[in-house]
Amino acid sequence: MIRLENVTKIYGTETVAVRDASFDIPKSQFVFLVGPSGSGKSTLLRLINRQEQPERGDVWVAGRNINELPASRVPHLRRSMGNVFQDYKLLLNKTVFENVAFALEVIGKPRHVIARQVPIVLDLVGLADKQDRFPNQLSGGEQQRVSIARAFVNRPLIMLADEPTGNLDPTTSEGIMGLLDEINQTGTTVVMATHDHRVVNAMRRRVIQLDRGVILRDQERGVYE
Amino acid sequence: MFSRIAYALRETWESFRRNLTLTAAAVLTSAVSLLLVGSTFLIQRAFENLLVQWRGDVEMIVFVRSDASAEQVALIDSVLRASPTIIDIEKLRYLNKTESYEEAKRIFAGDPVTLGLLTPESIPTQFKVVPLSEDPLLVRSLSDQYRTLPGVEAVALAEDEFEVISTLSNFIRVVTLVTSLVLLLVAVGLIWNTIRTAMFARRREIEVMKLVGATNWFIRIPFMLEGLLQGLIGGIVSCGGLWVLNSVWTSGVTGFKPGTGISSLVVPDSYLTSVMFILLGIGAFVGAIGSAIAATRFLDV
Repeated sequence: MIRLENVTKIYGTETVAVRDASFDIPKSQFVFLVGPSGSGKSTLLRLINRQEQPERGDVWVAGRNINELPASRVPHLRRSMGNVFQDYKLLLNKTVFENVAFALEVIGKPRHVIARQVPIVLDLVGLADKQDRFPNQLSGGEQQRVSIARAFVNRPLIMLADEPTGNLDPTTSEGIMGLLDEINQTGTTVVMATHDHRVVNAMRRRVIQLDRGVILRDQERGVYE
Repeated sequence: MFSRIAYALRETWESFRRNLTLTAAAVLTSAVSLLLVGSTFLIQRAFENLLVQWRGDVEMIVFVRSDASAEQVALIDSVLRASPTIIDIEKLRYLNKTESYEEAKRIFAGDPVTLGLLTPESIPTQFKVVPLSEDPLLVRSLSDQYRTLPGVEAVALAEDEFEVISTLSNFIRVVTLVTSLVLLLVAVGLIWNTIRTAMFARRREIEVMKLVGATNWFIRIPFMLEGLLQGLIGGIVSCGGLWVLNSVWTSGVTGFKPGTGISSLVVPDSYLTSVMFILLGIGAFVGAIGSAIAATRFLDV
């Protein structure tokens, strides 16, 4: 589903964010990218959804080299991916329902599809009864659930999560991980960047460890160390 | 499709409301600049009227020296009459000293200093010539010929008098055109700035839109519509201003005595209407350009 071949990403002229990274993530796998801040985890995610392009190497998604994709096709690539962030990136002037609906609205989905899909996915994340609340009226965990609902409402092939539990307490994090696991069970490939030991050790999934842009370890059913 | 249009219109309106002061500034600037553009058109047209009216009735004046003998005057008269195909002999008129002085009193009514230099004795007499020929070059060559006749002081062509008017109208045209172009650029800049502000205010939304796969056009169109609307509203305001301006001008000009040429400075309504459409077009275009630049430039948030 996702394949990186000798990818190097340099910011500016000096800063090497990712150096010669290669890995292959098959469909419906759950992968942790771990490492300290600045190790290149977020950059890898940004390379996969083409917010960044590598200086060297190729990034393949669903059988296509996305660096050769013309800019006009990038939106379509992104429609096959859901993104979840540490800071949720919810729109504060919209309700829970509207935040999730927004993702469908802006890719031109008709109203009846939105009216059908949004309640289903809100039910999945356990927020069916809070769809008219605004983000400020929700807890951090609930806000993250909204953002997961928004990422998942279009049924993407891939879910990219950048420190989704970074702002949450352990119990709430567990709930979020359960949700991501559930989404993974539906066949969605999940790539999650984190430095949360507890979460990684509890899940026992594939772990790719990075340090200063270099892959140190790539292990099936790994732990954080 | 319908939901996309509804979305674009809703977003445009929301953004419009949110940035009311900046929007007002952009609208007013474009209105003022468009008003100037419109005035340029009208002034141009008014002067053209003036010139066209005179050209249809072109006059040549052969001034005769005040000390010319009666024989010399008679010679000039016969030479003029020798070109009946070029000169309308029926309308050929000779103004003697008294008549010439009476006319001068009228011409220089507003200029007593010049009039003071003239006396009924020193004033040149004159032949008023109405040419039959429409060819200004032919008339001009004829005038060169008359100039060499004994007793002729000068030959004036109405055409030369026009040059003052056309120089004046050219000057006004250049000044208003340059001013309005500068103001139009300012309008583009202001619209550009309001769109930039609008985009900055909504950078979070734009970021989310890009991440969930909205196309750039989808993101851009509400902003471009907003700019277009600003330009268009500026255009509408300027049309109102132009209409008022033209009404005041028309009533002022028609108040003048007929035959002075001033009354020909009225611009017909049909022309005013087409100028208004041009202004609306320019307004919309300027708005779309300003916002398109901003929307493309600041889409990478």
